[in-house]
Amino acid sequence: MKLIGKRIEKDGSGRVTVRPEDDEDMWHLYNIIQEGDRVRAAGMRRIQNVSTTGSVDSKRIRLNLTLAVTRVTWSPSSAPGAESGTKSGAPNAAPVATAKVEVTGRVAEENQHVKLGAFHTLDIEANKDVRIEKDAGGWDSVALGRVEESCVPGRGAEVAAIVCGEGSAIFCLLSEHMTTVLQRLEVPIPRKISTQSSAHEKGLSRYYQTLYTSFLRHVPYASPSLRAIVIASPGWTRDAVFDSIMAEASRTSNKALLAARNKFIKVHVNSPHVHSLVEALKSPEIASQMKETKFAREGMMLDKFFKMLATDEMRAWYGPDHVALAADRGAIGTLLISDELFRSSDAATRKKYVNIVEDVQQKGGKVLIFSSMHESGRQLNQLTGIAAILTFPLDIEVVEAEEREAKEEEERRNAEERGTET
Amino acid sequence: MTVDQRQLDIAGLNLDDDDPLEVILDEPAKPPAVVEKLIEEAKAALTAQEKSEKRSLSLVVVGHVDAGKSTMMGRLLYELGQIDEKKRVANERGSAKMGKSSFSWAWELDGTQEERERGITMDIALQTLNTPHRIITILDAPGHRDFIPNMISGASQADSALLVVDAAVGEFEAGFDRGGQTREHLLLVRSLGVSQVIVAVNKLDQVEWAKSRYNEIVQLLKPFLVQSGFHPSRTKFVPVVAMEGVNLTRREPADCPLFKWYEGPTLVDLLDALDPPTRDINAPLRFPISNIFKGTTSGITVSGRVCGGIVVAGERLRIVPGDESATVKLIDNDGESLPWAGAGSNINLILTSVDPVSLNIGSVLCRPGSIIPLTFSFIARIIVFDIQIPITAGTSIELFHHSLDVPASISRLISVLDRSNGNVIKSKPRVLTKNMSAEVEISLRGSLYSGPASRALPIPIEPFSVNKEMGRILVRRGGETIGAGAYHPLRAHQLRLIIGRLGVVMELLT
Repeated sequence: MKLIGKRIEKDGSGRVTVRPEDDEDMWHLYNIIQEGDRVRAAGMRRIQNVSTTGSVDSKRIRLNLTLAVTRVTWSPSSAPGAESGTKSGAPNAAPVATAKVEVTGRVAEENQHVKLGAFHTLDIEANKDVRIEKDAGGWDSVALGRVEESCVPGRGAEVAAIVCGEGSAIFCLLSEHMTTVLQRLEVPIPRKISTQSSAHEKGLSRYYQTLYTSFLRHVPYASPSLRAIVIASPGWTRDAVFDSIMAEASRTSNKALLAARNKFIKVHVNSPHVHSLVEALKSPEIASQMKETKFAREGMMLDKFFKMLATDEMRAWYGPDHVALAADRGAIGTLLISDELFRSSDAATRKKYVNIVEDVQQKGGKVLIFSSMHESGRQLNQLTGIAAILTFPLDIEVVEAEEREAKEEEERRNAEERGTET
Repeated sequence: MTVDQRQLDIAGLNLDDDDPLEVILDEPAKPPAVVEKLIEEAKAALTAQEKSEKRSLSLVVVGHVDAGKSTMMGRLLYELGQIDEKKRVANERGSAKMGKSSFSWAWELDGTQEERERGITMDIALQTLNTPHRIITILDAPGHRDFIPNMISGASQADSALLVVDAAVGEFEAGFDRGGQTREHLLLVRSLGVSQVIVAVNKLDQVEWAKSRYNEIVQLLKPFLVQSGFHPSRTKFVPVVAMEGVNLTRREPADCPLFKWYEGPTLVDLLDALDPPTRDINAPLRFPISNIFKGTTSGITVSGRVCGGIVVAGERLRIVPGDESATVKLIDNDGESLPWAGAGSNINLILTSVDPVSLNIGSVLCRPGSIIPLTFSFIARIIVFDIQIPITAGTSIELFHHSLDVPASISRLISVLDRSNGNVIKSKPRVLTKNMSAEVEISLRGSLYSGPASRALPIPIEPFSVNKEMGRILVRRGGETIGAGAYHPLRAHQLRLIIGRLGVVMELLT
């Protein structure tokens, strides 16, 4: 994303103009734009004119519209990588935005074609400027952080991952903030029957073949931005898959693919499902290579949280209420929070989470905002979306009891005050 | 006249209290008369068979990797005359050619190219053993930890187990220690409802036939077996050397040092005395599919175990999930075609007039009219195994149900239960730690990351109280089995809670 202009007042109101370029930028926009903001972007609108004689004339025109947002929707890429398989040179092409962000709202600035208050849904387009205006307090540290993060040029690496099991494969593309599942492949392989195994072998070879064609179609293996191609599986499927891809590449003398040979990393995981991605990413082979990428950091931190939960339950807390209590006591060393929580349409809820984040940062704690488009973020979402590793052990029951007492105390005092007043 | 709109709405929705809901159920479609007659016949025959001499049962062979499971089964098949000399020689030659002559017995069961090259079982192999009084369907399970999903698929089709342990110094310990498969396999088969187990202590020749080593292993395993829920009277131990065929069928060679101190029965003696399972032939038909292939005959062959009821050749069955149905052309049991098969039998069904696309491993064949329910999320009572990282709400898991392996998550921790009496100790726990018994909600995971399309496919599962075999589940995470349990539908007070919530929603609507 390109930052075109930024003007933020001291009270947190103001506007930011950006130009999204790819899928990931769309994801950022979806996270930045909130209900109640004003968004100005280009869009198509059908204009109907009724002439004096009563004939209706309708045409579609392109115009810039400013909307007071009532709803933002996100739909992940529909046909990912579809363009990359068309020609032999195509896998090198830069990714094109196919994910969609739709902003619905009422027109906030009238122009000659559209009346004030008319409803419109803007389909945010790539490579067109978008202006986002927020009211006082709207541009909090999290929102601004997000803008900054999204506009860093030359973002981190892309990694393609294939999670396979015998007869199944899931193609994923990981970028800094997103995991896109490109394709799920399932080839029925008859299981072995001890006497006759030819059916099983036939199924296997059909599976390798299908896998190879989808690999060509989906994985931009020759693109320089693709850092690694991870093949993860239980058992020995990954070796067989890798060998079959390479054999097929040399048979068809696919030079680009053969040149990408050292991009392949084979990793052992325990199950052929998407959630094994987390397991794959924290394996030493990958962790050493992509320590600095967001998804690897997230995966490692989540792993650390679970390990902490196992060794010292009092230092690993989760759930919004519990984490808020821990934040009050300044106990949080690392805060794990999902970006989903900031998408809340209720400004007060968002503010609550922003406050926790700022509070932790002020006290020198680390904050990691997970992207819910990654597997690790998704798992954090299931864990209520917020978790914390504490610097010192705190017993939840004790803290809750303290809170209760404090509340009772306050109530009593209030009651007494009221008593003295009357 | 003023009309109370709310009253009208409620009346329209049939929510009046004084007018009890009348549930109108469709009369289930009756099976054709011919089929019905066959079912009656089958029931009579099965009851008669209960008393007969030769009874059938299925046995899963489990144990740590390289304990010698496949070799033992290969040798046993040979000793019982089910492998002829010619085949044995062929296997011997073939394995020697690959430089793996020690795997020659296992070749009979490890049929695929890859298994033979690696010298490891990767998937279940099915064979039939004929002992004097039993017909035993053998499911030879893989021991390698990466193939536990396949082992589960096999164990869920069995009603007894044969555990093979390696007596060699260090090998037994490797299998029995934390992370070894001896432990995990035992827990798995017990959780899947297997209650009788024979422990074969293998490779005694590698420890000089020492009696002390045999006793040591027995002493180590006994408490663990009891702890895992196997009754001592239903666990048997036997020393063997599978490779040489010592103490498998007969007590020979007579000069073997083993027989200086071992007086007990041989492995086959023990197998012959296994209790056959009780069969629930009156339950509605359930046939979970564990394998699909194109056999030699026309049509598609599916194999699996009848988990309730009776299947009859010629009848039309529904495939759940899905809207398709298929006709059973033949029922095949080890090359023999049967007119019907009752609960507990491991059989192949040859299906016709069906699109192969609608058949999946894990689908259940049912009789139309009594179809197994489908669900996205359900409440299960589970026992947590010996785990390091506690289970939190939202833990990503792999859910195993028969041959099905689906990604899921534990969406809610409902309560911690007392293991002995099932009383609630704590409701809404924060985490579940090892050896707890708990009630949790399990939801299947959707396929996409976000958006409305992220719907999961429902799985067929029945409450434990209705059909035990169709209610059992296993929960794994990161290559480790973290719990086992069964699907228990909502309790009464929870139902009331939900109805209460619905009431609130209705209030809001009106």
